[in-house]
Amino acid sequence: MIESPLKLHFNDIHKRFGKRHVLIGANIQLSGGACTVLTGPNGVGKTTLLRIMAGLEKPDRGSIDMGLGATRWRRCYAALRTRILYLHQHPYLFDGSVSSNLAYAISDKHNRCLCQQRIKEALKWAGLTAIAENHAKTVSGGERQRVALARAWLREPRALLLDEPTANLDPEARTRTLELLFRLKESGIALLIASHDPHHFASLADKHLQLTQGILAEELSDNTNVTPFRRAHS
Amino acid sequence: MIYIPCSSAHKIMHLTLHKREIQALLISLLAMFTLPAAADGNNTTNPLIRLATTTSTENSGLLNHLLPVFQSATGYRVHVIAVGTGKALRMGQDGDVDVVLVHAPQAEAGFVDAGYGDHRHAVMYNDFVVVGPGNDPANIKTADNITAAMGKIATMQSLFISRGDDSGTHKKEKLLWKTAGIKPDNGWHKEAGQGMGKVLQIAAELDAYTLTDRGTWLAYRDKSTLTILFEGDEALHNPYGIIAVSTTRYADINHTGALALVKWITSGEAQQLIGDYRIGKTRLFTPSANSDRVATLDDISDNHQ
Amino acid sequence: METLGNATSNALFLLISGDAELWKIVAISFQVSITAILIATPPALLTAFVLAYGKFPGRRVLISLFSTLLSIPAVVIGLTLYLLLSRQGPLGEWRLLFTQTAMILGQIALSFPILVAMGHSALQSADRRAWETALTLGANPLHAVATVMWEVRFGLLAALLAAFGRIVAEVGASMMLGGNILNYTRNIPTAIALETSKGDFSQGIALGIVLLALSFTLNALFYHLRGGGQPA
Repeated sequence: MIESPLKLHFNDIHKRFGKRHVLIGANIQLSGGACTVLTGPNGVGKTTLLRIMAGLEKPDRGSIDMGLGATRWRRCYAALRTRILYLHQHPYLFDGSVSSNLAYAISDKHNRCLCQQRIKEALKWAGLTAIAENHAKTVSGGERQRVALARAWLREPRALLLDEPTANLDPEARTRTLELLFRLKESGIALLIASHDPHHFASLADKHLQLTQGILAEELSDNTNVTPFRRAHS
Repeated sequence: MIYIPCSSAHKIMHLTLHKREIQALLISLLAMFTLPAAADGNNTTNPLIRLATTTSTENSGLLNHLLPVFQSATGYRVHVIAVGTGKALRMGQDGDVDVVLVHAPQAEAGFVDAGYGDHRHAVMYNDFVVVGPGNDPANIKTADNITAAMGKIATMQSLFISRGDDSGTHKKEKLLWKTAGIKPDNGWHKEAGQGMGKVLQIAAELDAYTLTDRGTWLAYRDKSTLTILFEGDEALHNPYGIIAVSTTRYADINHTGALALVKWITSGEAQQLIGDYRIGKTRLFTPSANSDRVATLDDISDNHQ
Repeated sequence: METLGNATSNALFLLISGDAELWKIVAISFQVSITAILIATPPALLTAFVLAYGKFPGRRVLISLFSTLLSIPAVVIGLTLYLLLSRQGPLGEWRLLFTQTAMILGQIALSFPILVAMGHSALQSADRRAWETALTLGANPLHAVATVMWEVRFGLLAALLAAFGRIVAEVGASMMLGGNILNYTRNIPTAIALETSKGDFSQGIALGIVLLALSFTLNALFYHLRGGGQPA
């Protein structure tokens, strides 16, 4: 990567829905080539945090430091969208073939040849060559996850936020997904994986965070001592 | 940038629109609405004349016979809006048209007196006739004059279809009832609110009487089951006049074009064309621009029998 | 009186023989209605999108307003525009009454609520992840809007066809605003009204056949497109 490794800090993020406080002063950072696993019970707000970080949902309060000083979310959400890619729990594939879904991620479509070449590479990268022309709405759950990852790979984001990427996948599909995630991490992309079952990502994770009742805290690897994860970067 | 926060029940998204995009959109919308107006605004060389006229002149085919000649001779284009006389005069009064060709002498005089038009020019005439079912239930065939005929219809309470649209024919009909001292009753007197052709069809379907101008009648005669039951009274005279809308109220009206049409339609050439216009062997209108005399019944009978 | 069979065979003859006046009327109909749809569709679909995806005060009121506008009779729209565009009206200076532009304005006003209401329900049925996926894959908002619209294109096409079907067959507003001027503002429905009033049923029937064929073709096209675009 030509750019310096990503350092992205989200500070004091607050969000509530009605009277329910989903996030209370959450601090989290993303760094290139590192993988963070975010755990917590279902419905606790992991998805909300990911969506705020991806620039898709507005927090009630909070600042974001993209390396040029702290800014408010509404000033930088567009920048977040260009750098960070969010994958839904069930990734959405557009109406069309697998290839056309991959083409969507290529921003510079002027060079048709190069475009085709890159799609080919992505198909190969994710082992999708055989189903390149299949209709996207007909592929299996595991294939859909890999199409979404291949699309992310083509997009070359600085960070990739994944929502329960292995939920509802059979063991074989899970292994293949993990393998792709490893390769994405190696290429220098920051990974943040939200999962209620963190054990699947033990070999991938550099850090574990836990979200409970609005409080985001670091979970040490021995799983016994939980300390608040506050302003770790400062 | 402005942005519109968006949300479903518990998800918020942001739709952003660039200011420039919005501006471009507004400008193109404005352009769309104002350009045609700007194009129409230039009146010095406006080739477009708007003529409001009665359904009788259009439905009888007369204007289709006349206007192409005028258009190719002068380069003007005439847009014909065919409505009842009342509506046509109203359009002239509102400045929505440049010239009116109608048949209601009293209303026309009022129009000129009020300053909406400068001068009424006689163009042509025909006459009104009363048509009805062949068996003539009110027996108006034997009436001495139109007042008596109308009285018989009212006495017999025979169904009568009225235009009911404030057209020249309707004005005439109301005058006839008034002259006969009759206040039409809703039971047998039905107002259709439609053009002459439609009213002739309604009357045919319902076996009813109606008053029609002879031109329209001749155009519909072959398609109708009705027959002429009363004609020839001097009170049924039906003169047509043309009035250019005055520029005093609407300075940008196409007055030049309107005057050109008035001048042409009262010229010898157009009067000849009007006199020559026939359906089958029957002449529909008698030109009258060059004579101020009131048409006699002989003229009408000569022309139509 | 010509019989129905007679009139119909004359109508077919008019159609087949390529009667110039008849086809001129058809051409005017298409020209006016297609222009109206082309102008109305982009803002209407954007409005529909904002109503489906936006959150702002009065959104629900606006949605029910557009549903109500659906049932406004064409003649009321015609009358309103007539009063606005007449020389006596506030927009009289534009001199638009009895022009094709006036008819186009009337048809825009007629089609807009249909496009918004049907477009709104089509867009509402779209998967919200489509919008977010487009954004997170780097699409700018307009591109993302286009992406979501493409995902529900059949619903939007149905809205377009319904709107076109309404305005191309509508007589009241066209008659009032256009004035039924031969070779200029006489379209299929006003011509049918006139020919019927003149008792010339053949031309009325011929034009009716054109309208029927049109709606049949549009529907067939729509089903063909949908069949080809979606997996079994």
